[in-house]
Amino acid sequence: MDPIREAELLMTRRQLFGRASLGLGTAALGRLLSAGGLGGIATLAQALEGQRQGIPGLPNFAPKAKRVIYLFMSGGPSQLDLWDYKPKLKELFNAELPDEIRRGQRITTMTSGQTRFPIAPSVYRFDKHDNGGDGVWVSELLPHTAGVVKELCVVKSMWTEAINHDPATTFIQTGSQLPGRPSMGAWLSYGLGSMNENLPTYVVLHSKVTSNKPNQAVYPRLWGTGFLPSEHQGVALRSQGDPVLFLKDPDGMSRETRRTMLDSLEALNQQALGEFGDPEIAARIKQYELAYRLQASVPELMDLSKESVETMELYGKDAREPGTFAANCLLARRMVERGVRFIQIFHRGWDLHSDLTTDIPTQAKDVDQGCAALITDLKRRGLLEDTLVVWAGEFGRTVYCQGPLTQTNYGRDHHPRAFTIWMAGGGVKPGLVYGQTDDFGYNIVDKDGAIIDPSASEFTPGAVHVHDLHATMLHQLGIDHTQLTYHFQGRDFRLTDVHGHVVKELLR
Amino acid sequence: MKSELPLLLISLGLLASGAAFQPTARHAEEQVVFGRDVMPILGQRCFKCHGPDVAQVAAGLRLDSFAGASKVIQPGFPEQSRLIERIAAHDPADRMPPANSGIKPLSSEQIETLRRWIKQGARYEKHWSFIPPQLPALPQVRDAKWPKNALDRFVLAKLEERGWKPEPEADRDTLALRAALSLTGLPPTPTELQAFRLDKLPGAYERYVDRLLAKPAYGEHQARFWMDAVRYGDTHGLQLDNERGIFPYRDWVVRAFNQDLPYSDFVTWQLAGDLVPQPTTEQLIATGYVRSNLTSAEGGAIEEEFLARNTFDRVDTTSTVMLGLTVACAKCHDHKYDPIKQSDYYGLYAFFNSTKDKPLDDNLTLPEPVVRAATPDQEAELAEMDRSLQALRDAVPAPDAIRFFEAHKPVVPEGRDWQVSPVYVRSSFEEAFDRAEAAEPGQGGDVSWKPLALEVGRDIPSVVGKDGASVYVRGTVRLQTARPITFGVSSDDGVKVWLNGKLIHSNKVTRGVGQGIDRVTGDFRAGDNELVLKIVNGAGPDGLNLRLFDRNDKRIEDAVAAYRKTPEPAALAELRAVFLELGPATTGATRYRKTLANRSELLASIPMSLIAQELPTPRETFILQRGQYDQRGDRVERGTPSAIGSLRANARLDRLGLAEWLTSPSNPLTARVFANRVWQQHFGVGVVKTAEDFGTQGEWPLNQPLLDYLAFAFRRHDWSVKKLNRLIVTSATFRQSSRITPSKLAQDPENRLNSRGPRYRLDAEVIRDKALFASGLLVEKLGGRGFKPYQPDGIWENASDPASATHFYVRDRGDVIYRRSLYLFWKRTAPPPAMLNLDAPLRDTCVVRRSTTNTPLQALTTQNETAYLEAARVMAQRLLTASGTDRDRLRRAFDLTLGRLPRPNEVTVLLKALARYRETYRADPADAKRMLDIGDAPQAKNLSTTEHAAWMIVCSTLMNTDEFLTMH
Repeated sequence: MDPIREAELLMTRRQLFGRASLGLGTAALGRLLSAGGLGGIATLAQALEGQRQGIPGLPNFAPKAKRVIYLFMSGGPSQLDLWDYKPKLKELFNAELPDEIRRGQRITTMTSGQTRFPIAPSVYRFDKHDNGGDGVWVSELLPHTAGVVKELCVVKSMWTEAINHDPATTFIQTGSQLPGRPSMGAWLSYGLGSMNENLPTYVVLHSKVTSNKPNQAVYPRLWGTGFLPSEHQGVALRSQGDPVLFLKDPDGMSRETRRTMLDSLEALNQQALGEFGDPEIAARIKQYELAYRLQASVPELMDLSKESVETMELYGKDAREPGTFAANCLLARRMVERGVRFIQIFHRGWDLHSDLTTDIPTQAKDVDQGCAALITDLKRRGLLEDTLVVWAGEFGRTVYCQGPLTQTNYGRDHHPRAFTIWMAGGGVKPGLVYGQTDDFGYNIVDKDGAIIDPSASEFTPGAVHVHDLHATMLHQLGIDHTQLTYHFQGRDFRLTDVHGHVVKELLR
Repeated sequence: MKSELPLLLISLGLLASGAAFQPTARHAEEQVVFGRDVMPILGQRCFKCHGPDVAQVAAGLRLDSFAGASKVIQPGFPEQSRLIERIAAHDPADRMPPANSGIKPLSSEQIETLRRWIKQGARYEKHWSFIPPQLPALPQVRDAKWPKNALDRFVLAKLEERGWKPEPEADRDTLALRAALSLTGLPPTPTELQAFRLDKLPGAYERYVDRLLAKPAYGEHQARFWMDAVRYGDTHGLQLDNERGIFPYRDWVVRAFNQDLPYSDFVTWQLAGDLVPQPTTEQLIATGYVRSNLTSAEGGAIEEEFLARNTFDRVDTTSTVMLGLTVACAKCHDHKYDPIKQSDYYGLYAFFNSTKDKPLDDNLTLPEPVVRAATPDQEAELAEMDRSLQALRDAVPAPDAIRFFEAHKPVVPEGRDWQVSPVYVRSSFEEAFDRAEAAEPGQGGDVSWKPLALEVGRDIPSVVGKDGASVYVRGTVRLQTARPITFGVSSDDGVKVWLNGKLIHSNKVTRGVGQGIDRVTGDFRAGDNELVLKIVNGAGPDGLNLRLFDRNDKRIEDAVAAYRKTPEPAALAELRAVFLELGPATTGATRYRKTLANRSELLASIPMSLIAQELPTPRETFILQRGQYDQRGDRVERGTPSAIGSLRANARLDRLGLAEWLTSPSNPLTARVFANRVWQQHFGVGVVKTAEDFGTQGEWPLNQPLLDYLAFAFRRHDWSVKKLNRLIVTSATFRQSSRITPSKLAQDPENRLNSRGPRYRLDAEVIRDKALFASGLLVEKLGGRGFKPYQPDGIWENASDPASATHFYVRDRGDVIYRRSLYLFWKRTAPPPAMLNLDAPLRDTCVVRRSTTNTPLQALTTQNETAYLEAARVMAQRLLTASGTDRDRLRRAFDLTLGRLPRPNEVTVLLKALARYRETYRADPADAKRMLDIGDAPQAKNLSTTEHAAWMIVCSTLMNTDEFLTMH
């Protein structure tokens, strides 16, 4: 927003508080602006507005998507057992992965000591589904998702540089393998601001995992703000206890009593505002009012009782249990309707180094129906058009087996060089399959099957790097990823660092 | 398309976060200051292609020095300078920067600035912060009465330039509260306040400040800022995020501030306490600084990669904390703005990549190296015990001992004929452990045993040699008489033991040989006994160490043998010790054993702490291209950036030398950077707002003489942090009222000119501590393991791997939960949410300047978090157990929370609300009861629940006022 306009707005607010004497003249503001005092105004404005309305100049162009639902499959789902169909591998059971495929690339120390890299073909049946285009192969593990492939843009040539969970997850969440950078949702909150006053801008949901295997941690850094002001951090909506931390008033305190308390508090704060003239006090008064509103709007959001039977059935019986992935998908749709800008659902447990066939069916079952229902539900409500849905893990898994290989079971190590994600809605091309891998699902290849060596510092057509995914997602939100910057420690930081390329081929 | 260069996207970022309130030269006659006015323009618009990064220079033109720029600049003649011609060109094809560079053209104001700069002689000047601070001349001021110390002169001079006046001094109570919060993070106690109020003599405030500086709470408060900077945590911070033992380092920081250890030593010990001659325990503990980086032991992680990550983290943190410089850009390429070359970066890197700690932490609480972190008191106590043990030993006649042990000769069994089976490889550790192989007793398999050179007490590494595999080891032990014998087995990983065919021990464990001894007891028979061990390896290295004999018997045997061989002092001492410990229970022996037990007990109570130690031979260092650990470039030696200070000739090229460079008078940054942060701590904003960046892209200091004076005085007073604090807090500047007038608000909303007293929202920790203080619950005890407070369920559990040792949150009980927030157990992947909501950083990266936001989640936290509600309840108890009227109680309540008396309309508002609460709870006493049912602190008996609940809300209200939450 234009700072002068913003300051005028503040004045109105101040008059509202009966503090006209504090009025800040536009002329004074003009002087301040010419003196370069923009940071001061920004802080002042922020203080009075409470919630930032994004940064001026954004969006850079008309957005295709207003919001994002990001389904994060933590641990690294096996593309080879879900999406990347490799029929030729059947013949190569237990054969050695050819050197010309592995090409001496680094692998984790969990398998680097193995003397053999035996090929483990997927045991799952794949079927080709009509996606309105060339069709898409989907594993039997994802029957519901297979039903909505007409809406999906499947990218088989995602890649990353990180081979361990923490760096890889931090990378795909923040654009950097090292901690300290803002997460994508925080960037959007900072850049675009809020679309509502009753709910947070960036909400994080954690999903129950049926499998009881150890699974990778997900933690606040992944939805943190790094060096951005901390108000932009993701707010975790919880399925246990208060949905938002400290939301509920203590037992024995009625809404009326809270109102009385807040009214008396405001009276004291108004007095202080009059005495000290600090606009932060006005902002604080507003925050307490917003908190009071949150106490009503969050429970309303979480209450699924008004959802139709038909909708509940669409999401499946899991959706009746709070905290399941399906229930979270339904909540995500409700948040979309209520103006939450960025919703991220975490589902853990995909790190299947051994006994993959024991666990991947339950993993897939945990998420399959919820994903499909979400797409269907958004679509029929006309929300899919301007909501970008992304399904992704932090990396993929190896074609060679980790640990013992049998005809029915195997394990797979981390594989950063090629993995599959999908997107839907928000202006991406529905029914598209982008990118392909070699017969081993190991390397990204071009249309003729020649191996592509994607470079981190240059865009490689056919391959989609994490920075490219970020650039593309920002593009759909109307943001030139090179323009969403924050000046910190002497440089302008970006989500995409100094990289990233909008993959236009994925877009409508 | 992807440029390597992270720059020049200035438009939006700067506006929102960057340098505020920079007066620029606006009029033609005004002197242009190169660093302030010109450098940012050149840096942001030109250096991408014409800057210090030699790899990127276009057209052979560099604009970062006059020598380079003279090709396109005619000093004094802007119109004849090609630079101006090109940047002001109308034709986009001629204009610089080129349209396809992605860099915006210069604004007409910027062009005008460059014009004026050339007209005035186009002087290049070294960036201000790279020139060591000199004692600035004290400026003349018109109002000579206002300044109380030199700082005030610098501040006032700036105000008078603008025709401004400072605000009057705040009232005494406000000052008392402000100084206490600012220095100790706590309000003053009633006694302290009373002493100050009664002291009517001149200098009362200074004396009050001195008393505050002498409080242990001072060190705690100072340490808290340092914890953010060094990203202190009680866990490793990555992946499993297990606990790490390093809190003695935190406690040392508190002690160092309280003892006013000179900042130069403070820095030196942390960086290189292990390298000073004969380091004390304190100096070793201080090196916990080096170990504070995040570590991991994620399965599959590559050691080299994590060595690089850990070292980057150390370099970046040290550079930000000590130098206020961001060097991280130079990890990949020469710095674009600041004179830090890539080789400089790796020169610094080389100081930190050769410590003994393993790059992967093995998920251990105490990954080596560690030190027993005895406090000076504990060390004294240990020394005293050692002296008395020594005295008792000296009194033992050696012949007595020999005679005694001759008469009581222990039976020491011998093992022989050790053999090892073939290796049995299975698919997993599990299978290898569970499967009974042919060599197992009772299997009767045909096994080809091979001799094994097993020596009791010696590690046999790699006895298995394969992953998911096992071997059996057998031998014969002969005894004269049957008796039970206890022996020890260490193994990597799992182990089973059979004695004469009977399984007597099984431990399905994955561990290193050094990580535990299983004590096994078996009934040995007279004659030969067959002992069989199965060693099972999961993955990686493996090994076995059999300690067959009763350790006491063995010790006696060894001691006697050693003494007989050569009766040297060590052997004599051991013989005497063995005699006192294991010989007859004489009076002396009893005392000896008691003292020894006390000593062990004391030792056990002393925590271990991670420290840094240098490898005997440093690792080689190479430039890592693009910061990739596996892309080695040229070799580099340890060294410091040439543009910043200078390393003494013959300086040691290790961390100690680095510390010397940091604290030497030639270093232009160290004192300024710290002094700026102390200023920031008291005023909310530093003299340089970008406390983390003193480089060319950081904020130009608004009042450089002020900062230089602070830095100069800081050094002059032997780096005394207390004196630096005192200087600031006793200034007239600090003592001003924090009221904001409309005109100052309009012109200086952030109070950058310090024309009024400090006002900012208090940090999360201070707010919680204040609430505890008001309730009387606060427990002021220094040091110790982090405590786990009230916390909503699931915070840890939802954020961690179930395999993590910090997966299940079990909160502490008892007094410990009322300790200061400094001591909160900090799990870096899931820090206390009540702190995070109020802008505490995660501590996974260095933070020297917190953001201060104002959000509804904060309002919810201070209204509903258990600690705050409990504090309100207990504070209400405090009010109600004292006699008095409602008005008396309100007065007390204001005093406890806000440190002042209520104003009449405040009394009216709260009494009215109180009446409503009473009415409500009288109507529903059960609600009142439920309301009071919060927190562990006992409820006072005989209080009316209605009254108590009603007052609890009043107390909570006061704790939620802006005034309570704000430094003012």
